[in-house]
Amino acid sequence: MSDAREIQDIKGVSTWSAFCATLRRDLIIALKRRNDLLNPIMFFLIVVSLFPLGISPDPVELSSVSAGVVWVSALLASMLSLDNLYRADFEDGSLEQLLLSPQPLYFLVLAKNIAHWLISGLPVVILSPLLAYMLYLPSEAYWTMVLTLFIGTPVLSLFGSIGVALTVGLGSRGLILAVIVLPLSTPVLIIGAKAVTDVMFGLPVSSHFALLGAILALALTMAPLASAAALRISVN
Amino acid sequence: MWLWFAKLGSPRWFYELSDKWLPWLYVSMLILMSIGLFWALLIVPEDYQQGQTIRIMYIHVPVASISLACFPLMAVAGTITLVWKMKLADMVAQSVAPIGAWFTGLALATGAIWGDQIWGTWWAWDARLTSLLIQFFLFIGVIALRSAIDSPDAAAKACAVLAIVGAINVPIIKYSVDWWNTLHQPASNFSMDPVAPNPPEVWVPLLVMISAVYVFFAIALILRTRNEILQRERRSQWVIDLVAREKNV
Repeated sequence: MSDAREIQDIKGVSTWSAFCATLRRDLIIALKRRNDLLNPIMFFLIVVSLFPLGISPDPVELSSVSAGVVWVSALLASMLSLDNLYRADFEDGSLEQLLLSPQPLYFLVLAKNIAHWLISGLPVVILSPLLAYMLYLPSEAYWTMVLTLFIGTPVLSLFGSIGVALTVGLGSRGLILAVIVLPLSTPVLIIGAKAVTDVMFGLPVSSHFALLGAILALALTMAPLASAAALRISVN
Repeated sequence: MWLWFAKLGSPRWFYELSDKWLPWLYVSMLILMSIGLFWALLIVPEDYQQGQTIRIMYIHVPVASISLACFPLMAVAGTITLVWKMKLADMVAQSVAPIGAWFTGLALATGAIWGDQIWGTWWAWDARLTSLLIQFFLFIGVIALRSAIDSPDAAAKACAVLAIVGAINVPIIKYSVDWWNTLHQPASNFSMDPVAPNPPEVWVPLLVMISAVYVFFAIALILRTRNEILQRERRSQWVIDLVAREKNV
């Protein structure tokens, strides 16, 4: 009798509150693991600071590549943190609970992706002006860079989520994840970096923002569906 | 109709049918390829700008056009795998991935040889080259994913999802790099006019070569799929019978 009522209770949970609960849970877990939280940001900082060492400390040379360097580093930082998205949940079994829940998996996956972006993407966006300054990005391009990263990094999380969902059950997934995810992320990188470079030359950039927004809209609607399908395949 | 559809999905049926197709395909490829190569390499006049280098086009264009068709084909096969759980579709999807990677690689290589003569450089970060390169990476990703997953069933479904996601992404990649940087000339139009920039004496042999390479692609795909069928169905009675018969001959 009480079992039946419990099942009724779970079914009674609205999709919205399940979405919020998943989001809150992922954020709390992330906040309790400080290192996991800091690692992508430190990685971002270190990779960016490698470029002046490798290319040249010359302000003219650095400023011409700064947009691309920041974007590529953001892409790599996002990819590095992707593994956290489902692995721990897969290992302790809570991912299966998520798949069994009566709420649509699309929204639960979306909540997890948003949490991942808040943890790994947003800090990168916030930190990017500092790094842009260190790389001598012209000041008129700051806002464009922050905004393109703001629109672009969620797409990286959403696309990356598909790759992690496909490989979550595998033993060695580090490199295969990169091989799958990086080619998929190239349009965002191209458009994002191009927008920043165009601003430096005084060209209009509204079309780049429109394209990035379109890709984000597509990713928001389609990518969680693919992630959900991939999770159902991987957890079996 | 559904009966026919279910029959199509049966690997054995495909294996036996393709047995009858293959000789015809071999003959038509031989004819088309010899006419096409002879025509393109010896008869077509030199281009007034590109000279003999123009002849690379007769390999490059067919190969590139097939490499572009491979990803959609893999995505369609993947969709059939996911929706109807058809075994044969996954075998085709698995077979097309390495072929697609090879053809993409060939298109890049022939393009590089041509580019060295005409553009003066083996490689340029041009839109078409770049999008083909990224497509090459996507193929490698699908192949790597397939080899990483142990369970064939899970591998089939996972690769199907990746192929569909990739196929949606290919046009986005293509357009984004198009706006990014373009050096490659737009695709030429076929024209019947003898004084047009592309008169029939230039594009008719190209058409022959395109059909020849398409038939070659079909043969390669069928042979690979047949191997895959034998490999996966090796425990079924008809394959055992087949192998026993081959041994006796």
